[in-house]
Amino acid sequence: MELVMAAVIGVMFAAGTSMILRPSLIWVVMGFGMYSNATNLLLIVCGGYAPDWDAPFVGTSAAQTPLMDPLPPDIILTAIVISFAVGALLLTLSYCVYLDHGTDDPEGLT
Amino acid sequence: MRVLILPVLVPFLTAILLALLTGKPAAQKALAVASGIGLTAFVFWLLRLVDQQGIQTMVVGGWEAPWGVAFVADRLACIMLCLSMTVGTLVTIYTIWTVEPRQQEYFFYPLLQVLLLGVNWSFITGDLFNLFVGYEVMLLGSYGVMMVGATKAQVRETMRYLAINSIGSTLFVVGCGLVYTTVGTLNLADLSERTARLGGEQAALVTAVSMLLLVVFALKAGTFPLFSWLPDSYPVVPVGVSGYVAGVLTKVGVYSLLRVFVLVFRQPGHELALQVILVLSGFTMLLGVLGAMCQWDVRRILSWHIISQVGYMVMGVGLASNASVATAAIAATIFYVMHHIIVKSSLFLIGGIVERVSGTQELKRMGGVLDLAPGVAGLFLVSAMSLAGMPPFSGFLSKLVLLRAGLGGGHYVVVGISLVTSFLTLYSMGKIWTYVFWGRSELAAPAAPYRALMVPTAVLVAMTIGIGFAAQPFLRLAADAATDITDPRAYVTAVLGEPRR
Repeated sequence: MELVMAAVIGVMFAAGTSMILRPSLIWVVMGFGMYSNATNLLLIVCGGYAPDWDAPFVGTSAAQTPLMDPLPPDIILTAIVISFAVGALLLTLSYCVYLDHGTDDPEGLT
Repeated sequence: MRVLILPVLVPFLTAILLALLTGKPAAQKALAVASGIGLTAFVFWLLRLVDQQGIQTMVVGGWEAPWGVAFVADRLACIMLCLSMTVGTLVTIYTIWTVEPRQQEYFFYPLLQVLLLGVNWSFITGDLFNLFVGYEVMLLGSYGVMMVGATKAQVRETMRYLAINSIGSTLFVVGCGLVYTTVGTLNLADLSERTARLGGEQAALVTAVSMLLLVVFALKAGTFPLFSWLPDSYPVVPVGVSGYVAGVLTKVGVYSLLRVFVLVFRQPGHELALQVILVLSGFTMLLGVLGAMCQWDVRRILSWHIISQVGYMVMGVGLASNASVATAAIAATIFYVMHHIIVKSSLFLIGGIVERVSGTQELKRMGGVLDLAPGVAGLFLVSAMSLAGMPPFSGFLSKLVLLRAGLGGGHYVVVGISLVTSFLTLYSMGKIWTYVFWGRSELAAPAAPYRALMVPTAVLVAMTIGIGFAAQPFLRLAADAATDITDPRAYVTAVLGEPRR
């Protein structure tokens, strides 16, 4: 399972990179979205998971079942909030740039 | 120690209050200055306390370290907080006269507080993931102040700055995740203790992960080859606050390099990252100053000089790869950061005054400022000589201690590059002096009133002279701060308590 996830994450990062390198701001924004989703997947894998693991609530689990590590989901939540805000700002700004300059090709902005 | 939350909490609450006060310009300015002065006094008190009684810590969230989120004030963090708040407050005072009503309507002062909040957070946190959050808050604040007023150039350059930094932030999260997987903690003290005990494959893996974080911090600090965003974006920051952005933001990157690559990553083979940093520093210094030499706009020249000066600081971090001079090199870096934040901020503030006096940004159309505003010429001369490393100002001493560490470690090439860079810096400052201050102006009087702006600027200039003449206490402080991070036992004990075994 980890191998599949690793491959998916790798493909997503590669796709994100190729999108960011395109000469168009909207592609850059989409590439950033791809990056942040790939990051979140990576963090899930980092935390480790298995179907029989319990949610990390103290006192709800029998002693022998292992618990999920709560920290990676915690980090993912924070990362999602931040990348949402930054993504919104990126999108707004690229629209402003388009309105100002009539193009969204970074090379054409002077 | 609960008051450690204040450097984060005060700007946060001030930002909210300032946003509520939108539409009352005078009240906003008064509150921003009052909050700045109050917090500056607090961080200086904190520095004194930490210097005398040792590292102070606070853990929030109801859990003990390493599970709760730690705030740690050691000497290095306090020095950085003092510099950040001093410059931040002086810049706030400076902007009383420079901020335009339109900028103030667009939440200029709340955004400036958000910037201070993020920077202070990055300095005082004792947790790698919180360092990331501090970075993000700082970046959001910097996007805000960069595009406040929303002229065409500001929007365009902010877009570029935002795009490259959001990629950097993504890498930072990835780095945090991988560090957590390989080492099993994100608390800096705990990381420091655990990485030192690693060996074999685990150690190599951590070194590989650390390279990812190196990219993030090098991007933020503006080192070679990741500096291309800097000279385009800093010139569009509004006058005044550019002093803070230019002086402090890249130094957050340098601080993170010191904190993470010297204090935290101590696995066998961690010197590799420092050696890479040393090589990058040579390129950074030289390319930065060469870039500055071919610019004809005051703000762009000064922005390129940030890059070349970051090279010096990063060189100090890189010299730590050699264990025999590590502490001396780190002390030199910390002293250099103190000097540089003050001098670079004052140069940007002076640049703002010069633009007001001459009514233009272009170097070739300036001239005769010496006749129009002789006091400004004096301030520039001191700062420029200090930047180039002429005695008796702080720049000379900071280069001296750095080069001594470099020679002690036998790194002659990078020392040679730094001397060449210093000489070229002098040339570049001479160029500004010739075109801006000499010559004859077409104006009969200064284009805009400027005298009030000289007060906060003069305070910074007085500090570079003061550090130059009374260097001993500052050098002692830098040396102690360096010992704190090259030998992390005190730090680890302060955060995690006495060793359990």
